[in-house]
Amino acid sequence: MKHGRKMWLVLLATSMLLTLFLSACGKGGSSEGSSSDPVTITYYTIDSPDRTFVEKLIPDFESKHPNIKVKVDKAPYEQFDSKLQANIAAKKSPDITSHFGYGGFMEYYNKGLLTDLTDIMKTDNFKASDYGIQEQLMNIYKVDGKTYGIPSNNYVTLMLYNKDMFDQAGVPYPPSDYEDKSWTFDKMVEIAKKLTVVSDDITKTQYGVDFGWGELDMRPAYFGAKVYSDDAWTNGGKPSETYFGSPEAIAAYQKWIGLIWDQKVSPPPAFSKAVAGQFGDPFLSGKIGMSVVGSWSLASQKDFNFKVGVAAVPIGGNPDVRSVLYVDPLFVLKDSKHPKEAYEFIKYMLTTDVQEKSIELSGGTPPVNDNAKEKYYNSFEGVDPQVIKQVYEGANKYGVESYNHLISNYSQLNELLINEFQSVQNGDQKVEAALPGIQEKITKLLERLNK
Amino acid sequence: MMNKHFISRGLAFLILIVCTAAMISPIFFMISTSLKTKSEMLLFPPTWIPQSFQWANFKELFTNDEIKFGVLYQNSIIIAVFTVIGTVFSSAVVAYGFSRYRGKGRNLMFMLMISTMMLPYPAIMIPQFLLFSELDWMDTFLPLIVPAFFGSAYQIFLLRQFFNTLPNELYDSGKIDGASVIRMFTSIALPLSGPALATVAIFSFVWSWNDLLAPVLYLNSQEKFTLPIGMAAMISSKFRIAPWNLLMCAAIMAVIPVVALFAVAQKRFTEGIVLTGIK
Repeated sequence: MKHGRKMWLVLLATSMLLTLFLSACGKGGSSEGSSSDPVTITYYTIDSPDRTFVEKLIPDFESKHPNIKVKVDKAPYEQFDSKLQANIAAKKSPDITSHFGYGGFMEYYNKGLLTDLTDIMKTDNFKASDYGIQEQLMNIYKVDGKTYGIPSNNYVTLMLYNKDMFDQAGVPYPPSDYEDKSWTFDKMVEIAKKLTVVSDDITKTQYGVDFGWGELDMRPAYFGAKVYSDDAWTNGGKPSETYFGSPEAIAAYQKWIGLIWDQKVSPPPAFSKAVAGQFGDPFLSGKIGMSVVGSWSLASQKDFNFKVGVAAVPIGGNPDVRSVLYVDPLFVLKDSKHPKEAYEFIKYMLTTDVQEKSIELSGGTPPVNDNAKEKYYNSFEGVDPQVIKQVYEGANKYGVESYNHLISNYSQLNELLINEFQSVQNGDQKVEAALPGIQEKITKLLERLNK
Repeated sequence: MMNKHFISRGLAFLILIVCTAAMISPIFFMISTSLKTKSEMLLFPPTWIPQSFQWANFKELFTNDEIKFGVLYQNSIIIAVFTVIGTVFSSAVVAYGFSRYRGKGRNLMFMLMISTMMLPYPAIMIPQFLLFSELDWMDTFLPLIVPAFFGSAYQIFLLRQFFNTLPNELYDSGKIDGASVIRMFTSIALPLSGPALATVAIFSFVWSWNDLLAPVLYLNSQEKFTLPIGMAAMISSKFRIAPWNLLMCAAIMAVIPVVALFAVAQKRFTEGIVLTGIK
């Protein structure tokens, strides 16, 4: 009996001692005193190798800028936004980050989280051309002519195709030249029909094309229809009107959903889930002939179980809108105590040398700097660099920036669309029956959010 | 007669075998995936038995500099052990008080405490973060351990119900022997509450072991990260194929302490579930 009491006391004592010990270990805050001390800036990103490679660049940066120390903070994708929010609330805001989580640029802008970099850049004589950044890409992150973000990576949308499947069916490969005007959506459907095999045995079933062009609200743009009023692009991503129920939008969605249920050349969601799990890409299973995806899929191509080719996205309803661009920026946050030093670090990230190094360190992230792109085109074993170059340049020429960077409150909007479109994609509901209701819900949602 | 008995027994076994297979198959698949190569893991249809057993995956997991699995494991263990000690100790003291003493406003206080169970973590996340930030506890284990020493409403409720089942005669005999209040608690209440304490220990261990959001918020440096953070990070890239095979290795390693703890405490634990339901 006595023994029991002793145990408790011992446990209590040790736990208290250890608590003290741990708290003594944990103190590592840097005190920032006189101006000769280096300042510390924090770069906040996602905890995955293709993002945290920045850590490896820091020693080099610090040796070139002895007055600046850089700390990298990171969080898993799902918790990225929560951690950022908590740190901003606690006045511990990081200095540099990007819209790595669910939210897009406009959400950051509308919440007043971003520093206006215009004056800092003017004083510094910043020229986009010095960093090989095309001027129109700089405009993506300007609001009313003021710069709130500087592009650092440049993903595009392209078509990957399964060479083995094409060879087996004896079908010629799709072209990689964006100027080849015979490469149309209908032609793609034609080829896809030749590749599609639907059988009762799911292991023998294969589909010709998986059309993952941008997010759901972007697909009408590919077919030449408009879902947001034009003022959205100039007023901070708040469209005064939306046109999801318009005849043009309905026709566009019918064409896309038609790939699954009318032409039967695209996999229904149930099939994709069966072969790839909840969030996987069915293309990886080797059961899809052509896949229209973001160019990040290219980075994993060495892991595929089949030979991969790269091709142009065909012409839909609008010859000038053929690729979704995902130009990722870097922001300096509003609460940053050292915006100038943060800006220095962003500039360093954009130099040709660092952009080239970043390709390898991140395992194939496309640089925004044109002078580093040649190296990127050459970093995929087994895929012809010339073809990647052609596809990239064509995509940039006929590209539109992804709406998730431009429309305000995008995460809620997109979630609504994903949920509402589920029944349509599953074939339980016709497009023309569903869209008027979707339009109504979107109107209500935007009224509530964009008051 | 005999025949009938056999048939029903056989049928029962058959049903049990089918259910067992359904329960085991995900675990089996986890083990199988952990021993596959990256390319085999993407095959469709998936293979049940790996074509070649990649024991090197486990080695890779422990030696990979980006993952630092050993460090993650150690941190998770440290946090979980302290959480268990804190929760068991503080919850037992508070529950004993609620069970044995009838002061003014006792029921109101109990109600208040129980109502804190209704608050979801995201609701208190930011205020709590501000508090620990003011205390300068960022990037330490303290925000994850210290709250455990202030009891947990659920566990206090569970223990109070158990203490209520102990007959008063026990304490009366203690009084006659001249035992102090603390002596009553340590020599009478606690030794008789083994099952309930084991239940509390297991619950608090598993909750701490699985917790992801709080560690992500409070820990900043790689060498303080916990197992769930490391595992979430493995599948955080939107742009690369996740290393599912390594993740399954990690999942197997992560489940071992929980299974071991449960095996050790199982007898007491199941007793605990039964007993706490009895008034």
